Amino acid sequence: MKLLKKALRVRELPGILGLLLIYVGTGVVNPRFFSPSILNDILYGVAIVAILAIAQTFVIVMRHIDLSVGSVIGFTSFLIGDLSSQGFSLLAVLTVAVLVGATVGAINGFLVAYLGLPSLVVTLATLYIVRGIFNEVGAGKTVVESMVPKELNWLGLNQFFGVPYLFIIVVALMLIAGVTMHKSRAARDLYAIGSNPSAAQLVGIPVKRRILLAFVATGAVSGLAGAVMLARFSSASTQSGLGLELLVVAACVVGGVSIAGGSGSVFGAVIGAVLLQEILLAIGALGIPQFWQLAVNGALIIAAIGLDRYLSTRVKTSNIMGATS
Amino acid sequence: MSKFSVRKYRFTWDKGVVVFLVAAVLIGSFGSEYFATASNLSFVIQSIAEIAIIATAMTYLIISGEIDLSVASIMALSSASIGYSFQAGVPFEAAILIGLLVGLLAGLLNGVLVTVFGLPSLAVTIATLALFRGLCWVLLENKPVNQLPTDWVALGNDNIPNTFLPWATIPLVLIAGISWFVLHNTKLGRWVFVIGVNPVASKFSGIPVKGVKLGLFAFTGLMSAVAGVIYTLRFASASPDGGAGYELSVIAAVLFGGVAIAGGVGTMWGVMAAVLSLGVIRSALQLVGFSANALLVVSGGLLLISVILPRVTEFMRSQSSKASIQSNKKEKVYK
Repeated sequence: MKLLKKALRVRELPGILGLLLIYVGTGVVNPRFFSPSILNDILYGVAIVAILAIAQTFVIVMRHIDLSVGSVIGFTSFLIGDLSSQGFSLLAVLTVAVLVGATVGAINGFLVAYLGLPSLVVTLATLYIVRGIFNEVGAGKTVVESMVPKELNWLGLNQFFGVPYLFIIVVALMLIAGVTMHKSRAARDLYAIGSNPSAAQLVGIPVKRRILLAFVATGAVSGLAGAVMLARFSSASTQSGLGLELLVVAACVVGGVSIAGGSGSVFGAVIGAVLLQEILLAIGALGIPQFWQLAVNGALIIAAIGLDRYLSTRVKTSNIMGATS
Repeated sequence: MSKFSVRKYRFTWDKGVVVFLVAAVLIGSFGSEYFATASNLSFVIQSIAEIAIIATAMTYLIISGEIDLSVASIMALSSASIGYSFQAGVPFEAAILIGLLVGLLAGLLNGVLVTVFGLPSLAVTIATLALFRGLCWVLLENKPVNQLPTDWVALGNDNIPNTFLPWATIPLVLIAGISWFVLHNTKLGRWVFVIGVNPVASKFSGIPVKGVKLGLFAFTGLMSAVAGVIYTLRFASASPDGGAGYELSVIAAVLFGGVAIAGGVGTMWGVMAAVLSLGVIRSALQLVGFSANALLVVSGGLLLISVILPRVTEFMRSQSSKASIQSNKKEKVYK
C-alpha cells in the first residue's frame, strides 16, 4: 500500500499512463497501430524534441526557462551542413555546433545568474538575436542532402536491430543526463535552486555558478542537437527550428517537469516528447482528420498540467511559473 | 523623504523608451527622405495596430503577475471564426461579432484554468496556444477564406478620408486611451498593480484577486479578437496560420516598454511608446536599406537593454544612497 502510494506520486506516472493508454486504445480501434513501423515512426519523429526537452529540463528544474533553443538548433543544423560542404571535417563542424550552443547558453546564463535578469525575457531576446544572425548568415542559402555529412545521413537512415540510431542517441543522452542529474552534486543543486532559490543560497550552494552551468549545458546540448536535426531532415534553411521552443517546453510539462521548478526528470521529458509524437500518429491511425492534431495536442497538454497539479502535493500557487515565492 | 523628491529624480525605463522613440523618428527622418511621408506613417501605424491592441491587454496581465502566450492563436481563431461563419452564410457584421465572442470565450477559458484550477499561466497558455491554433485548422482546414466583402476589406486598408491615418487608428487610440485611463486612474487599475506586487496580501486586503485575473484573461482574449478582426480585414483573408509567432512580438514589446515580467511594475504609455518605436525602427531600418534580419537582432538587443538598464540605474542608486536605511527597501513604481 505504501509502495502504491509512493508510485502514485511519481511525477512521470501520468505521462507513462497516457503513453500506454493511447497506444493500447488506438491499437484496439486500429490494430495496424501495433505494427512495428508505427513504433519506428514514433521513435524517428521524437528524436529532435526529445533531445531538446532533455536539455530544457536542466533549466526548468531551476525554475528558469530557455526559449532560445529553437533558434540555436536551427542555426547549428544549418552551420553543420554549410560548413561541411565547404570541406570542414565532421569533428570540426560538430565542435562549432557545440560551441555556438554553449556560447548562447553562456550569454543567457550570465545575464540570468549574474545580472539577475528574468530568464523568460533574456532567452526571448536571444531567440530573436540568434534567429536574426542565422537569417543573415543563411540568407538565400539552403542546405540540401548532398551537403549533409555522409555520416549524419547514414545515422538518420539506419537502425540498430530495428531501433533508429537517432533514438539510440536520445536514450544514451537520457541515461547520461539522467544519472548525472540524480547523482552528481552540482546537478542536485539545480533542484534545490528550483525549489527555493533563497534557501539554496543560504545553505551555501554557489547559485550563480550553477545557473550559468545549467544554461551552458542546455545551450551546448541544443547546439549538438542540430546534428540530429540535420540527420533527420537532410536539409536545413533559415526556417529550421522555427517555433520549436514552445513544443519543447510542452513536452517537458507533459512529462511532469514542473514549470514551478524543483521537480521532474529527463526521463519524464523524453516521455512527454514521445507522448506528443505518439498522439500525432494516433490521430492518423484513428482516422481523425489530420487537422485535429494540434487541437488534440493542446487539449492533452492542459489535461497533463491539470493531472499533474492534482497528483502533486505542492501548494496551490498563482504566478506565471506556478511558484509561491 | 518626501514623495515628490523621489519621483523627481527617478529615471524609469518607460521614460527612456519615449526618448528612444523620438530618437528613432529623428534618425529615420534624416536617414531617408521617404521616412517622414504620410504614406509611410500610415504604413507604420497599420503594421503595429494588431500588436499594439493586444499589448494593451497584455500589459494588464503581466503587471498582475500572469502571462498569456495564446494571444496570437486567439487572434487567428477569431479570424478563422469570422471566415468560417461568413462562408457558412452568416452576414459579415454578425460574423465579426461571432469572432469577438470566440475571442472572449477563449480568454475566459485561459482565465478559468488559471484562477479556478490554479494552474500556472505560462504552461496553460502554451497549451491553449496549441489548442486554439489547432481549432483554426479544424475550422478552415487548409483552405483560407479570401472572398470577403470589399467595402469591409477597404476599411482594413484605406485611410480615414482627408488624413494619412488608417481606419485601424480609431480602435487603436480608443483602446489605448481607455486602457491607459483605467490602469492609472481607477481603483481597478491600482488593484492590478497590487495583485502583481503581492497576490496573497491583496487577497487578505479584500481584493477579489481571482475575479480580477479572470477578467483580465477575458479582456486579453477580447482584445486579441479585435486584433483578429483588423488582421482579417487588412489581409482580406482568414487563414489558419495567420499571425503565428505574434505572441512573442507582443510580449517583447510589452517588456521593452518597461513592464516587469515579475509583475507590479509598468506603464501603459511606456508600452505604447515601445510598440511605436519598434514599428518606427522597422520602417527606418528597411528604408535605410537594412534587411529584416537586422530588425530581429535589434529587437532582441533592445529587449535585453530594457532589462539591463533599469538594473544598472538601480545599482547606481543603491551605491549613492548606501548610507540611508531607506535604500534597503525595494521600491516599486506604481505609476
